[in-house]
Amino acid sequence: MDNKKIKAGITVFPGSNCDYDVYRVLNAVFGVSASFIWHKDKVKNLKNFDFIVIPGGFSYGDYLRSGALAARSPVMELVKDYAFGGGIVLGICNGFQILLEAGLLDGVMLTNDSLKFECKDVYLSTLNTDTPFTCAVKKNSVLKMPIAHHDGNYFATDKIIDGLNKNDGVVFKYCDEKGNLSAGSNPNGSLYNIAGISNENSNVMGLMPHPERSSEKILGSEDGGHIFKSIIKYIKEK
Amino acid sequence: MNKTKKTNKPAEKLFGLSTEEYEKISELLGREPDDFELGIFSAMWSEHCSYKSSKVYLKTLPTEGGKVLIGPGENAGVVDFGDGDVLVFKMESHNHPSFIEPFQGSATGVGGIMRDIFTMGARPVANLNSLRFGSFSHPRTPYYLSEVVKGIGFYGNCMGVPTVGGEVVFDECYNDNILVNAFTIGIAKKDGIFLSSKCEIGNIVVYVGSATGMDGIHGATMASEEFDLKKNKKRSTVQVGDPFTEKLLLEACLEAMEKKLIVSIQDMGAAGLTSSSFEMADKSGKGMIINLDSIPLRTAGMTPVEMMLSESQERMLLACEKEKFSELKGVFDKWGLNCVIAGEVIKEKVVRFYYNSKIYKTLDVDVIVNGPEYKRPVKSPAYLKEIKPLKIKSYKMPGNLNDIALKIITNPNIASKKKVYTQYDYTIGTGTVVPPGFSAAVLRVSGNRLNQNKGFLLNVSGNSKYTYLDPFTGGALAVTECARNITACGGSPAAITDCLNFASPEDPETMWQFSSAVEGIKSAAIKLNTPVISGNVSFYNETAKKDGDRTYVSKIYPTPVIGMLGFIDDVNNAVTPYFKDEGDEIYILGSLNGNLGGSLYMDIIHNDFRQKPSALDLDYETRLQNCLRSLIAKGFIKSAADISEGGIFTALAESAIANPKRTFGFAVDYDINGLRADEFLFSEFEQAFILTADKELNGAHKAAVKKILGEYGIKLEKIGTVKNNEMKINGIINLKSDTIKEGYYSAI
Repeated sequence: MDNKKIKAGITVFPGSNCDYDVYRVLNAVFGVSASFIWHKDKVKNLKNFDFIVIPGGFSYGDYLRSGALAARSPVMELVKDYAFGGGIVLGICNGFQILLEAGLLDGVMLTNDSLKFECKDVYLSTLNTDTPFTCAVKKNSVLKMPIAHHDGNYFATDKIIDGLNKNDGVVFKYCDEKGNLSAGSNPNGSLYNIAGISNENSNVMGLMPHPERSSEKILGSEDGGHIFKSIIKYIKEK
Repeated sequence: MNKTKKTNKPAEKLFGLSTEEYEKISELLGREPDDFELGIFSAMWSEHCSYKSSKVYLKTLPTEGGKVLIGPGENAGVVDFGDGDVLVFKMESHNHPSFIEPFQGSATGVGGIMRDIFTMGARPVANLNSLRFGSFSHPRTPYYLSEVVKGIGFYGNCMGVPTVGGEVVFDECYNDNILVNAFTIGIAKKDGIFLSSKCEIGNIVVYVGSATGMDGIHGATMASEEFDLKKNKKRSTVQVGDPFTEKLLLEACLEAMEKKLIVSIQDMGAAGLTSSSFEMADKSGKGMIINLDSIPLRTAGMTPVEMMLSESQERMLLACEKEKFSELKGVFDKWGLNCVIAGEVIKEKVVRFYYNSKIYKTLDVDVIVNGPEYKRPVKSPAYLKEIKPLKIKSYKMPGNLNDIALKIITNPNIASKKKVYTQYDYTIGTGTVVPPGFSAAVLRVSGNRLNQNKGFLLNVSGNSKYTYLDPFTGGALAVTECARNITACGGSPAAITDCLNFASPEDPETMWQFSSAVEGIKSAAIKLNTPVISGNVSFYNETAKKDGDRTYVSKIYPTPVIGMLGFIDDVNNAVTPYFKDEGDEIYILGSLNGNLGGSLYMDIIHNDFRQKPSALDLDYETRLQNCLRSLIAKGFIKSAADISEGGIFTALAESAIANPKRTFGFAVDYDINGLRADEFLFSEFEQAFILTADKELNGAHKAAVKKILGEYGIKLEKIGTVKNNEMKINGIINLKSDTIKEGYYSAI
């Protein structure tokens, strides 16, 4: 199967600002046919798409809780139907926050423990490689990607954490260069260094770091590309 | 002029106009202006909008040549980037608002400069900024620093435009006047540039964006005055920023431009509706009807003069063909923004205002726009007589230079600004090849083309201490320093924008500093072939102070800041300043002067920086930079750094510790040839670079290198070797790299 035949939909809310980066990387770097879905587009469903990406940004300015307004936008009803039907949904940064607010993933985002916006490279330990987003990644491999967020301090009740652990729902944790989990490698105070989680069926994943900004060598890391490669591999083998 | 009629209006009723200007207005109108007219005149004739004190000097700057397509006069300048692309950039100050309310002041400074760029039809692709705060130990500095940085991040991050570089400087001369200069560059298609001068008779005038509120009224006037003892009363003159709305405005404007629905456009910046309407009319050689009843308001019952002077953000005025309005409105509706017909372009060169459905006022465009132009008195500052060449022998040589080196590297003006720039999103846009923290930012144009390797480099620089000590050299140095940073990365300087921050132009000594600094910028810009394509002047950066019974004026040092654009054919060939491999050889390219006058070392170690800095040899500078660029183009150079604040020691130390992968050190053994050790280690802005290369530079490449050096008449000397975790210089410095690194990254 030619990558070109894979169709990706990228949701666009007022204030989305990583939409074009994801679009560019999917089309130009991975040869996928990606297109935008404006939040008010009158489409019946998203079944034409092989996967959906909710990109980063400041939807509605994030003047309320990050992602809270976008989660109630008409297109999110379609995303929910798509996800409940087993469709692959990836939320990046603000997209992760929107998935939490929409109830597609469990937990909440708090403001970073530094109380500041944090832009830097982080290292991620891949805990679960049995997902559509990580099936091309070697277990426990360490991926380098940039973060850029103000509210990435993941928090959840013990019950949610137990549930995540039971289902291998914690996909990525912040770690150091060598893969060691430590407080020093946690950029935002996130609970148990959690950087990315999936739902029970592992067809929905959200992560704070930006794989689209680390898919080309010239940008200092190609590690983020493994996530897109995984999705492509999964779809081809499905 | 009717000399009998002196105004008896008190100064505070003149909104910053002088009595003479008020009388001139009365003469032009044939009567005294009413409040509405006075409001408009006070804004348009303000220093901030009219450049009345600076114009006569700015006219002398080189503005053409090279790849320049559009120079000063429009919202921003335009440079050809090849393949049908152009780059559009400008830098602007937002000093006064940022001192009154640092978060909103800096945020709207960033918002304003981005609007200038997308008004031209360009999508902003990078922001930089140049910040000046009071002394690091001043009790209010942490507040200003944290709020300004937060404000810049708040606006730029939300807009999705990476902030890729800048400078942060602390000096007590800014205790009472901080400086916030914001730079934005955007990319557009050569045939997709929009101007404010293209209005056609019969076009409708359309107001788009946020509603007009009570914020920022008299902002332009406020920015054209020194601060008095009641600065807190000026809070209402500061605008409030809404980056989310600006993001929508950006997308809506670019979409409308793409669909060719806009004829001419100007953003509502300083003096809001006043400047946008009068300037568009003037530049187009036309007139305009403005219907004040149509203006969307946030506050009911705003008076006409309040509507005209509001500096509410995220608004634009544009001209559109009548029949295209419904399509235009469709675009702005999609983005949820106001889009209302506010008037019409007319032949008669007046702006005619309607209010309550009746003609309210008719003002002549030429009268309003052609404000006064002054050649203010200039006088060489008295203090300059005391600035003599440094006699280093009169200053005791410090015993332990290791301690001194550590003090220099941990000084807030030298130490890493990582804690600042990590609050800005610098990776968005997938274009940042060399991030902040190094010489110049290197960006590629990601677009939708995969193998697009051409790129551009950006840097902002200025040194106010040197400008204070020698205004001409300080002005020139700001240009050469930007060029050094760009050249050290392998780029070719192309064009500049300037942001000239000074105290009151009414003081002849300040005006002398200004004219000399502009002269310096001009000389360097001509020599390096980097035309000035846009810029901004900020005067009145001074504050009246009271200390017991004594009142005095606290003035900033003259602070010209330059923003420079450079080009590189292939970003893969960009050179970074940090060491790459142990065993590589370290060289000095150029020659050392060893003059410590004006240096940080003299300031913090001997508490006496007031000596003459080295003069700049601009002819040598050009040859030096061309030489380095040739060596880099050959692929001979693994790292290159210029020698700026903190001297050679700092250049070497930063090169050793800044590699993100690992820490290096160095062993330098060099005959300093008559210089004292402190002169060698800490003299600044040397016309020289620190380079590293593998052994081939002096082996297989020897002949080619010699040829290049000969061509430009530049000296290259080996001074040492890249080592592991140790910094050794001539037996006078012996430090662990880890110690330096720890201090460098944790000082601020």
